[in-house]
Amino acid sequence: MTHESTSQPFVMDTAFWTATAIFLLAYATIISEKVHKTIIAVFGAGLILIFKILHQHEAFHVEEFGIDWNVIFLLVSMMIIINLMKPTGVFEYIAIKSAKWGKGDPFRILAIFAVVTAVLSAFLDNVTTVLLITPVTLLIADALEVDPIPYLISCALASNIGGTATLVGDPPNIMIASKARLDFMAFIYHLTPVVIVIMVFYIFALKLIWGRRLITRDELKQRIMAMDEREAIKDPVMLKKSLIVLAIVLTGFVFHGMLHLQPATVALFGAGLLLLLSKTHEPHHILAEVEWPTIFFFMGLFIIVGGVVKVGLIKWLSIKMLELTQGNLFATSMVVMWFSAFASAVVDNIPYVATMNPLIIDMARQLWPNLSGVHLLQHPDLMPLWWSLALGACLGGNGTAIGASANVIVVGMSEKAGRKISFMKFMAYGMPIMIMTVAVSTIYVWLRYYVLKI
Amino acid sequence: MRARDLMIPLQEYLRPDNTLKEAVNLLRMAKRGEERVGVKGLPVIDEKGRIVGMLSMRDILRAVFPFYLSMMELGDFTWDGMVEAIAKRSSNRLVKDVMSRVVITIHEDAPLMECVDHIIKHNIKRLPVIDKDGRVVGMLYERDIFFAITKAMLDEDTRGTE
Repeated sequence: MTHESTSQPFVMDTAFWTATAIFLLAYATIISEKVHKTIIAVFGAGLILIFKILHQHEAFHVEEFGIDWNVIFLLVSMMIIINLMKPTGVFEYIAIKSAKWGKGDPFRILAIFAVVTAVLSAFLDNVTTVLLITPVTLLIADALEVDPIPYLISCALASNIGGTATLVGDPPNIMIASKARLDFMAFIYHLTPVVIVIMVFYIFALKLIWGRRLITRDELKQRIMAMDEREAIKDPVMLKKSLIVLAIVLTGFVFHGMLHLQPATVALFGAGLLLLLSKTHEPHHILAEVEWPTIFFFMGLFIIVGGVVKVGLIKWLSIKMLELTQGNLFATSMVVMWFSAFASAVVDNIPYVATMNPLIIDMARQLWPNLSGVHLLQHPDLMPLWWSLALGACLGGNGTAIGASANVIVVGMSEKAGRKISFMKFMAYGMPIMIMTVAVSTIYVWLRYYVLKI
Repeated sequence: MRARDLMIPLQEYLRPDNTLKEAVNLLRMAKRGEERVGVKGLPVIDEKGRIVGMLSMRDILRAVFPFYLSMMELGDFTWDGMVEAIAKRSSNRLVKDVMSRVVITIHEDAPLMECVDHIIKHNIKRLPVIDKDGRVVGMLYERDIFFAITKAMLDEDTRGTE
């Protein structure tokens, strides 16, 4: 399949223009937010199929053009595991414990929450993490009688940074891993180190921005210290089962490359096992709480992007991109990283990465026409491009209030708490942090892959 | 017996732009029949005489309950004085932001069973009674229906049963 489509020259025929029009209209409507993005994605996918841009078989069963079931099952399975874990009270326990580590000091708590959020985000999806952490940050801010806004914004930014660190942390990474057939440890080896460095810079930045402004009285600190985190645990038996399953899943992720198992296989096994162990007779609620709109958004997008891949739009774009950077891969990496960052700050990074993945693969095909499979996808000269895409697309989400779902959630929560964060206010913090983190990533990619070559 | 026969004619009500402070004061001082005993809920009526909401004790409780507490199990981590502090902060909030907007009303000519039907199905304690122009003319309380039922059971004088 792969070989045939590379050798076929594309023509700008009716199918080409139909698919391109559907793609552009869909993306424009998603950006305008006039209609819910999931509806656009599903309707756009319907159009791609009804106009026979893709045959149904291609949309459902062909890896190159259709739905990436790896991504779908990994997301669904992780959501099921989290939904089963939530009622145990473990997340409340972690959050209260963190606040007490901070000894009631407002800035220490802010910094600890940023680190805890980043670590949780590396393993759970960012929206889930933010939904688990922010209620506690609001409680803590009320207890200390300090402004909740620094806690909310720093939590959203930290979740986007932390999510960059691993394969499962953020949807762009899940998508890149699946397309480039990269395993969990590759992300740990290539992205986690730079994310740790970024976190150090980030905490310093937080100290500069809010360090002196957060003050409280000693008697209010007692409110935090009087909390007993052990009261949070509602179901110790289920908690033990969840932790065992989580340990199995994480071990599975670490070794999935060696075991020749896909990450989705590992996660699906974990979800099935925990459902079984939970002894629930009503899986209905657990399954209903899966974020189906997100899942269907992915499925629709995969089909729309599959359509423009098949007609050759993406290949045409990749040729233009190589012309622009004249085949210099360092320049291409930098363009990909910075363009991805600013693009992800304004548009959803999921459709963006869904489009960029095939573009990078088409570019690789122009560069190394004789290679295929893993040799092509993981060509040593291509690897920095994947990492640049991941870093740009994930960290770019911090740029604006609409750059990442976690930001949207936090802004919504803040408004509900009676403390509106305006678009400009979010950007005043998010954009400098985004630029700083992408700058650190630029130095990292340049130093590691083009100077030290390790 | 119909809604009109059991209702207490409308005496006190709230405006959407009243503050919670004004509202709780009225709730505490409101008359019920001839006595000034305080009530647990009042209708919210706009300047055109239309009912736009109900403000009850439960709505006041909700107004001081931070939304984040319901998102997770955080009730164990609250402190003494929290309710009072939020109550002070909330005293200038407006009735229209706190009231229940879904209001079940009953027509003044409705038979008593229709009232019972609403009270049971919607789990409410009081029903605003409206006339044919949609204006609120009175309030019908669960307690008064209960007294009507006891009278019937005890074979006391009941009008309009046939």
